[in-house]
Order: sequence, then structure tokens, then C-alpha cells
Amino acid sequence: MDIKDIGKDLDRLVKIDPKELIPLPHPYDDPSFEPPIRELSDEQKMRYEASLDGIVAIGIQRPKTRQEEETLIGRFLSGLEKLLSPENNWTFLQPLYHSLEYCVKCQLCNDSCPAYIASGKKEIYRPTYRPEILRRIINKYIKKRSGLVLKLTNSDIELNWQLIARLGELAYRCTLCRRCAQTCPLGVDNALISHEIRKIFSQEMGIAPKELHESGTMQQMKTGSSTGITPKAFANIIEFMEEELEEKTGKSIKIPVDREGAEILLIHNAGEFMSWPENTMAFAIIFDAAGIDWTLSSDLAGYDAVNYGVWYDDIQLARIARRHAEIAKALKVKKINVGECGHAHKAMIVIADRVLTGDLNIPRESALPILADIVLNERIKLDPSRNNFHVTLHDPCNMVRLMGIVEPQRKILKKICPQFREMEPHGVENYCCGGGSGFAIMQSMNFPDWRNAVSGRIKLKQILEVFSDIISPDIKKYVCAPCSNCKGQIRDIFNYYHVFERCNILYGGLVELIVNAMEDMKQPFIEWEWR
Amino acid sequence: MNSMNAFIAILTYFAYTFIIVAYTVKIIKYLKLPVHLRWELYPVIHEEAYQYGGSCFEKSNWWDMARKRRNLKGILWLLRGYFTLDEYFKKNLFYWLGLYPWHIGFIFIITFHILCFMGALFMVSGISISHDSPDVIGRFFYYAILLTGVISFISGAIGGIIILINRVIDKNLKTYASPLQFFMYLFTLAVFLSGLYSWHYTDPDLQEYRQFWVGLITFNFIGVETATMVHIIFFDLFLIYLPFTRSLHYITRFFAFFLIRWEDTPNIRGGELEKKLLKQLDNKITWSGPHIMSGKPWKEQ
Ligand code: SF4
Ligand code: SF4
Repeated sequence: MDIKDIGKDLDRLVKIDPKELIPLPHPYDDPSFEPPIRELSDEQKMRYEASLDGIVAIGIQRPKTRQEEETLIGRFLSGLEKLLSPENNWTFLQPLYHSLEYCVKCQLCNDSCPAYIASGKKEIYRPTYRPEILRRIINKYIKKRSGLVLKLTNSDIELNWQLIARLGELAYRCTLCRRCAQTCPLGVDNALISHEIRKIFSQEMGIAPKELHESGTMQQMKTGSSTGITPKAFANIIEFMEEELEEKTGKSIKIPVDREGAEILLIHNAGEFMSWPENTMAFAIIFDAAGIDWTLSSDLAGYDAVNYGVWYDDIQLARIARRHAEIAKALKVKKINVGECGHAHKAMIVIADRVLTGDLNIPRESALPILADIVLNERIKLDPSRNNFHVTLHDPCNMVRLMGIVEPQRKILKKICPQFREMEPHGVENYCCGGGSGFAIMQSMNFPDWRNAVSGRIKLKQILEVFSDIISPDIKKYVCAPCSNCKGQIRDIFNYYHVFERCNILYGGLVELIVNAMEDMKQPFIEWEWR
Repeated sequence: MNSMNAFIAILTYFAYTFIIVAYTVKIIKYLKLPVHLRWELYPVIHEEAYQYGGSCFEKSNWWDMARKRRNLKGILWLLRGYFTLDEYFKKNLFYWLGLYPWHIGFIFIITFHILCFMGALFMVSGISISHDSPDVIGRFFYYAILLTGVISFISGAIGGIIILINRVIDKNLKTYASPLQFFMYLFTLAVFLSGLYSWHYTDPDLQEYRQFWVGLITFNFIGVETATMVHIIFFDLFLIYLPFTRSLHYITRFFAFFLIRWEDTPNIRGGELEKKLLKQLDNKITWSGPHIMSGKPWKEQ
């Protein structure tokens, strides 16, 4: 495939053939068991642009008229100009400028990319491919180079709506895990280019995956959560959780909500309340037992830490960050603690730091150090032998490579899980779960097949490898993933490949393991069943 | 011949002035870009737990902790990278085999020119530069100039050839290489090979360069052998060409690490950073997505 093909009138640039994907270890070493990636229906193909790789993540509607095509091209170019302007894009202009100008195309970063490697090295997924296209467009249409210069720089690219639509889709074949950026000796960040392309589409063209924008950030600000949980529904959930807690622990634990002046405002990814309520309950049990002065918030968006803006739209990012800070300010808490959600950690604690000014700049931190303090200083009574199964740890990119929170979770696991083992590589060199940058929640058409089979493949391979000597379904194994999105992705991969049935590997969070080891728990907190 | 001498001298003055001005403009442009959102990537060099990539976020109440920025450690780390190109060594040995001598060629050719300039200053002040100079400094400069010059020509030429072969036969590299990139490799090869030729055939002591530099300093432009002249012209043109390439990555790599990858300065209420940010949050934005209030500043969105 030639780089220039991105603008060619072809039915599909690349076809994902399951046989070309990198092989998985036992018991998945027979490629004929590889589930096929679903083809789109004829109607879907007619309606949506799917000519990149036959997968649809965003669902860009095909223009019906020449006029619509022109509009798409025009808006893309005006967005690109704004992306390069300090007023409109002060947020990322310097890193973007560096990455556009100083890549020497040595391709050293390529093999760091899980999606590229897993796909059998498909050209379009190469970390340097998107930046190359964007540079060529900038050379010709923004810097207005012409003639010989265009030819000499390989920038003689013809912009058409299909190219733009493919580039938009392509920005959603990168999980923004930034493993490639970590490898680059010159500090170039190809993940950032994907991020910035996504911004052109959202901030200028109004195009973004529905799960991130319409039912993501927009819904969060309107109804309180991207899950659709309203403040009223939240109150019911808390009531239900308290009943469940009593049933499970035999203790009556009051979950503090909207308690003014508490030391900590704990904010969870609201997906936990829906899909893994045991995680939020475990937090309540631990904090209650350790005597932590904490509260949850029932305010609009105060009970949902997610900030999908960090993946595709700086304005949405800033709006949600401000909302979270306003809630903390109104509650007069001393600090915000983020629960087990990687991107919320990164968005709220690090990236939003420079949009929160004055009294909105409220101290924000991860819940992991507090948990480590509770466990390591034995502020609760623990019996590690209760975690009598093999455990490995998945490092969420946002918490680890992007924030440097590496050890607290390990220290906890080493203390409470006698059969803990590390997967390789781990820590800041970890591989993304394949669900990063919003993928885990994106359910559009056949996109989940792609993320299970391609972007999540290396993670599955790592998990199977770390347990390779005990892969038999007779032996219990647990992947600890202290991040809601990573858990969602691991759940989906495990479903796709029937990993629980075939290998008896369960997944879950960190706090569940802590509570499972608590001495005064009458029954195991972790129920060993697939949900 | 005299007009030719003057031409080469003027070209040399121009080349040096041009590259300094062009690089400065580029550097200023880079540094003047607005302060951006945090986008660091771990390991961050000045963190205590740098060894495993840990950060202050591993501790509760991290904002109360004293933060030390160890700039020297970062500078040394980056410099080590320049002199070893170890990332390439580990990940693509064949590429490193070309890249390393090629870069050594550049580092030494720059050193060679600086030494020529300094040597010329000494010569003007009456110190003879030769292998049997009565002054230690004269002998030192003689050998230093000779060694740096010869190493740069040989190393740069070998590296240039290997890297060119690499770009042609390695599919990954070839796909993304533009004609301009091949032109650059050939150009650098011409610079190094012409230097090698003039040293080997016409000027084994490289004394013509020293004389040429004396001429530049005293405005008494002297003539040099054709081979040396060709090399000087190539090198001058190369200096003029460099700002149009990505060569500034030697310097911007420092910026990328210090201003982006390791840039983790927290925003403190009332601090200098906050002042800058408040100004930027006042910028009106013109994005026209349907959910954006185009024309309103960031802070009112
Ligand atoms: S991003 Fe860095 S590692 Fe990758 S090709 Fe560019 S310079 Fe090389
Ligand atoms: S950020 Fe991750 S997924 Fe994206 S190109 Fe880089 S390594 Fe690949």
C-alpha cells in the first residue's frame, strides 16, 4: 500500500484478515478459532464512510452532494488552520508544533505500537502514518507550498472528502497510549497528532463518536453522567448499595453523600455504579473501616469522574473539569480523590491543572496512595491467604506512563496477594488494554470487533503469557485492572475469546482484592463468577 | 583568483551569519509558543523515583512536597543520547551503524571549524600552529584540528553511505523518505567526501583551512587549492541549507524534553504560571463546532 492511497477512490484501503494478526499463545494458538471481524451490512456501507479498513468507529455520513463534499473539505481546512493558531489551540500548540516539525522518520517508534504490531504491521496503523498524511496536507494547503517543493517533500497530496473521512476514522485507530512517544528519542509524539486530528473533527466539524460526545460529555453535563444516571437515580443507587453492603458485610455502613467540609470528595467513574458496583462498595467498606473523612457528591456530574473531553475536545475537557472543581468548592472539601479510573486521573489531576485557576484550583489526587497507606500501615486487618488465587496487574496507561503512579498498587498487591506475578513489560512500559482513549465505551457497528481482535490483542497475549504455566481452567486467576475503562475492555476481550470459560481468568479492580482479604468479612467479597 | 578568494570568503561570512540568524529565528518562534496543558510522559528525569518512572502522584498530598528540578541531570541524560544514540543502538542496530558515524561526522566537523577559528585567532596573535611549534598551544591546535577534521570526513562519509543504503533497502525507512531527504544525504556525502579528498590529495596537514580562517579574520582573503575550495563551498552551502531541514532537532530535542515530556510544573494559585494561563483563558476562540460558543473566550465557554 502506498501512503498516497489514502485519497484514492477504493472500496477499502486495508482488509483485516484474522490470519494475519499476530498469533496468540495456547489455548488460542489455532488461528481457525479466531472470531471473524463482522462485515458491515450493505445499508451501513451505503450510509457511512467505511473505506479505511471496513470498520466504523465514528460513523461519518457519506456526503450526498458535491456541495456537501466541498463543505466537509472546507471545514476540515479551517479547523486545521485553527489548530495551528495560538489563540484557538494554546492548549497543545507547542507539543503539536514539535511533533509536526521534528520527526526524522527513523521509524524507531513503530514496534512500540500494540495496534500496529497486532495487526500484522498494517501500514495505516503505523504510528507515523497519520502524522505523515497531516504534514503533507499542511505543506500543500496551509503552508501553500507548490511545484517542485511539493514534489521534493512528497507532499503532492490531493485532498478529497474521502481522504478526510478516512483520516478522521484513522485518528480512532490509535488508543493515545503514547507508547510510541515514549520510544521517540527526539520527543516527537505521534499520539498527540491523533488527538489533534480528533479535535479538528469535533471542535470545528462537529464530528465525534456518539459515545464520546453526544451520549458522553454532552449528556454528562446535561443529566449528570455519561451513563445516564441522574442525581435522582444516583440517590437510589446509594440506597441500594447500602442495603447490599449490609447483606454482604453484616454491617450497616452509611455512605456519606454531600457532606460539607469533608476532607475528601471521592469521585468514581459512574460506569462503576452500573457495571461494577462492588468496586464502589469496596471503597465504602475500606474508607469506613479506616475511618477516612470522606464524601460522595450527588450534584450534577459530581458523581461521575469521567472527562471524555481529554480524548477529543479541549473545550469539553475544560467545561467538565471546571464542573468537578465547582462541586468540590461548593462542598468545601479539602481535596478531590479520584477512584479507579485512569483517564479521569489524568484529566482531573494533571491536564485540567492548567484550566483550573483561582479558587477552582482545588487539590486533586489519586485514591491509590491513600489505599496504599491503609493497607501497608495496617489500618485495617487483612488476611492475605483469603486471596488464594493467582493475580497479575494491568497498568492503565493514564495512571502509569502518563502520571507515574507505579508503585502504590504494586505494594498493595504484594502485601495482600501471595500469588502475585508481573506481566511483561509492565510499569511505565506497559501495553495499553486496547480500550484507551474512549475505545472501551465505543460500541459503533463492528468497531468492538476491531478493538477486541486488534488493539486489545497484545494485552490478551500478555495475560495469557503471564499465566501460561497455570492456564488450565482448574486454576483460578485474576487480572487486577484499577481502571473502569480498562476493565470494560478486558471484559469485552474476555467475552470475545471466552477467556473465563477456557482459562478461568477473572478480572476486577484493586479495592475488591483488598476487601476480599479483610479479616472481618464473613464471606468472600469476590464472587468467582462471570458477569 | 582574487575575486574568487573574495567570493569564497563572502560566501563563508554569509553562510555563518545566515545559519545563526535562521536558527535563532526558529528557536525564538518555538519558545514563544504559548504555555500548553501538561502533557508529560514518564519517566520524568527530575522525579525521585525516576528509575522506575514514578512520580510525586504516588504520594498523598503531593502538592505539599518540596519539588526539586534537577536540570543538570536532564542535560547530561540528553547529551549522553547525542554521543551514544543508544536508543537506536538498542532498537535498530543496522540503522545505528550508519547514523552513529554520520552524527559523529557532524559533531566533529563543527568542532573542527570552531578549532580552526580559534587556531586562526592564535595565529593572528603570533603563535605558530604546527607539529613542531615551540608553543604547546600551537602543537595542541595542530593535532586537534587535524584529528577532528580527518575523523569528521571519514566518519561522516562512511556514515552517510551506510545511512543512504539503509534508507534505500529498508522498506520502513524508504516508504517515508522524500526525494529531499535523499538529496540531503547526497549533499552531506559531498561535504564529507570533498573534505576527505582535499585532505588526502592536497592538504595533509589541513593547514589551508587555518590559513583560510586567518584570512577571514584579517580580511586578507587568501587563495586555496581547488579541492579545498570545493569543500569550503560545499560546506558553506550546506550551512545555508541546514535551517531548511530538520537539523535543529539537535536543539529542539532539549526543548521537547524540558518543555513537554518532563514539564510537570503545577499551577499554583497566584503564581506566575497562573498569570500566564489567565491571559490565555481570555483568548477568544473561533472554533465553529455546534457545541462551542464561537467568539467567546475560553473561560466563558
Ligand atoms: S516519531 Fe520519533 S521515533 Fe518515530 S519516526 Fe519520528 S523521529 Fe523516529
Ligand atoms: S499512541 Fe499507542 S496506539 Fe497510538 S500510535 Fe502510539 S503506540 Fe500506537
